[in-house]
Amino acid sequence: MKLVVNGRSVEVAVPADTPLLWVLREEVGLTGTKFGCGKAMCGACTVHVDGQPKRSCVTAVGDVGDKPITTIEGLASEAALHPVQQAWLEENVPQCGYCQSGQIMSAVVLLRARPKPTDAEIDDAMSANLCRCGTYPRIRKAVHRAAELLGGGAGEAPPKTAAGAPKGGRP
Amino acid sequence: MSGLSRRGFLVGALAGGGALTLAVSCGGSSGATRVRHADQTGELVANLYVTVMPDGRISLIVNKAEIGQGVTTAYATLAAEELDVPLDRVDVQYAGSNPEMRTSFNMQITGGSTSTKEGFGALRRAAAAAREMLIAAAAASWKVPASECRAEDGFVLHSGGKKLGYGELTKLAARERVPGKPRLKSAKEWKLIGKADRRVDARAKVDGSAQFGIDVRIPDMVHALVIHGPVFGARPDKVSAEAARAKPGVIDVFPFRWGVAVVAEKYWQALAASRDVTATWGKGDVAGLDTEKMQQAMRAYDDDGTGVVDSGNAGKAIARAQTKVGGVYEAPYLAHAPLEPQNCTVRVDGGRAEVWAPTQSPTLVQAFVAEALGIDSEDVLVHTLLSGGGFGRRSIPDVCAQAAVIAKRVKRPVKLIWSRESDMTQGFYRPVYAVKVEGGVEGNKVTGARMHCVSQSIALSSKSMLGAAIPGVPAPLKSRMVDSLLAMFSTNTMGDLFATEGLRDTPYRFGNFELTASPVQTKMPVSAWRSVGHSVTGFVMESFVDELAHAAKRDPLELRRQLLPEGSRQTRVLDALAALSKWGTPPPAGVGRGLARQFSFETEVGEVADVEIVDGRIKVRRVYCVVDCGVAVNPDVVRAQMEGGIIFGLSAALDQEITLVDGVVQQTNYDTFPSLRMFEAPEIIVQILESDHEPTGVGEPGLPPIAAAVANAVFALTGVRLRRMPLQRAWNERGAK
Repeated sequence: MKLVVNGRSVEVAVPADTPLLWVLREEVGLTGTKFGCGKAMCGACTVHVDGQPKRSCVTAVGDVGDKPITTIEGLASEAALHPVQQAWLEENVPQCGYCQSGQIMSAVVLLRARPKPTDAEIDDAMSANLCRCGTYPRIRKAVHRAAELLGGGAGEAPPKTAAGAPKGGRP
Repeated sequence: MSGLSRRGFLVGALAGGGALTLAVSCGGSSGATRVRHADQTGELVANLYVTVMPDGRISLIVNKAEIGQGVTTAYATLAAEELDVPLDRVDVQYAGSNPEMRTSFNMQITGGSTSTKEGFGALRRAAAAAREMLIAAAAASWKVPASECRAEDGFVLHSGGKKLGYGELTKLAARERVPGKPRLKSAKEWKLIGKADRRVDARAKVDGSAQFGIDVRIPDMVHALVIHGPVFGARPDKVSAEAARAKPGVIDVFPFRWGVAVVAEKYWQALAASRDVTATWGKGDVAGLDTEKMQQAMRAYDDDGTGVVDSGNAGKAIARAQTKVGGVYEAPYLAHAPLEPQNCTVRVDGGRAEVWAPTQSPTLVQAFVAEALGIDSEDVLVHTLLSGGGFGRRSIPDVCAQAAVIAKRVKRPVKLIWSRESDMTQGFYRPVYAVKVEGGVEGNKVTGARMHCVSQSIALSSKSMLGAAIPGVPAPLKSRMVDSLLAMFSTNTMGDLFATEGLRDTPYRFGNFELTASPVQTKMPVSAWRSVGHSVTGFVMESFVDELAHAAKRDPLELRRQLLPEGSRQTRVLDALAALSKWGTPPPAGVGRGLARQFSFETEVGEVADVEIVDGRIKVRRVYCVVDCGVAVNPDVVRAQMEGGIIFGLSAALDQEITLVDGVVQQTNYDTFPSLRMFEAPEIIVQILESDHEPTGVGEPGLPPIAAAVANAVFALTGVRLRRMPLQRAWNERGAK
């Protein structure tokens, strides 16, 4: 079976009903996509298939065919991180980091559809991605920041930090 | 040089080098080894933690688990500060099992929000020692007094203008004496502590390259999963696995003491084959356990219990009081549910084992694996990998014992990955609690308080668990481990120390205060869950004080201020919280405000929650949080931990519970054990109080106040007192009894 992963063509020998998640992790060798629940409930395994977010733990590899697959490893260019990844760094989003591949993949699709998302649109697009560490407030800020970096203009003003304190300073 | 070989060198070079817990006293016989190593490699191994590389970079061994709490960044900051290098010049490796690094309770363990406190002295001394060796080496080569030299930005500088990079000095510095008491920078000299905010592990966590336990790859490795029985502890009886064994890639399917192991070349093959396994099961350890009945019994529990605190005469003070308040506060079992399911990779080679694990305790991994294989725990080498969340669950290496047994049987390295369902149903939960509280109010004064705390004991549960693990531990270590564990899990006359923390040591001066405790036992093991006893006692104490305030017709903040010692960290935080949240300003219509605080892990945290009820759903809109954690080494990491503790705590406070019906855990995945999602995450506003106190806990203290802050807000909004977690269920069932 031929897959197109991050612009590269790869040949895998697996049954068609094998979950895409494990094909990516074990056959293609890309472990940035994570196993969390196995039931499409946590979003840790989110990848793009044909530009759309898919929970790879419940996506049969046979259903993907030759549609292009993008994983977290395929976002950055040689020269630079993807603006969403850059925004994640600027807002110091990750704690344990395990869910963040999926979070970032979801955010990239959101920003493609909504270059200046409102908080409600962020809620809609991101609520399928679980984070046990509780990084949601930072993810929200990072999505707004990524919108700026992507050239979506100023976007919606990110929520204020305490008393409008400058980042990194003590309120 | 790989981490493993450096560690091998370190053990060889420094074992027997004396008191190494502070990592700076390794002179004597190890000096020659250090020189030889420097001459061969150009590396200055200053001590167990700090190595200066020939390119001037710093290689730092972090003897803690990175479970998201930011310890990597904190330790890198402490080392970079004293070595005077930018943070990005520090490369971090995680310590594997190393007998010289058992710095907590004679173990290597990450827990109790102690890492930054522990590292604050040790890491700075280790780095300062390296700095002084580099300075001494430069001074000697220039033939000038060391006092005329200083370290800056990775160079040693002489007042006369000479300059040498750290990397150029490693061989010379290896010949210098290791300073016993290196000078530490004063707080005024700090360039990074209190300022550095970039997490050093963030980059790898946004580009997918971070290697978690589940990602490790070992040559010749195969994959396994374990089918666990429907009841915790159930052993497989009749297993039918012919069809599974015939599946492609399957290596073995076999019953063992924990369930049925399915082993295949690839995990997806094991997963596919597991669907063809059928089994009948024995009764299991918790057969018949029903949490609804258990909680009913705990609610009605009226033995005297063990006396924990008895100050004044609470019984009399309450009996005589005009107004009495109180009731029974309850909390359920909780799973930790970290996003990375439990997993472990093991290679067994004769009487030795090598383990790769996302673990909070390499020492306990050694003990569990040794016991499972019947070998000596010193023959178990553990590599610590990144954890996708821990919250306490990764101090229980049951998964490692299972992986070891499987690896031994199939004679290949095995990566065992639990399903989410196994992760959620295999016990070691936060204990169930029922705490009966009574208080007396006379006019606007509190006359006394009495509490009886009924809970399953982490101490007893841990003892029986460790009892199983201990046989594999060699005698000298065994006694040290047992001693320190007994101290940790003491069930002395004060009862289980975890059960009553936050109650027995309450800073409130009730005048008359009585606390008793009764442990209940079940065979469902319990363990530390983020903030341990405080996860419940914060809810109990702070809801109770709110009850007292309303009965005394006092403002809840004012009453607290009066009951707390004047000029304490507690009142300082309360004052800041009042200002931050504009406490006293009436909230908008439809919004209730609740306040709570808790002193836990030596850190004081106060929180105010703004809550609405929309279509029957408790919605937390905003949380104000003030924290006094001493010196905040990385302020933004502290803020993140407050945010994370609040959201983790809200998930539990509002919705989560593990229940059992006839011995079967009813919650198996994130649908039935829900966690807060983006659309319900409140805005969180954190203020860190300036302090020159040494750093105290951060990973856990954000959690304990939040449940009571929300429950108190619900009361302020509706007049309904919710005394049972999860609060949403209590709200739905209010008045139902």
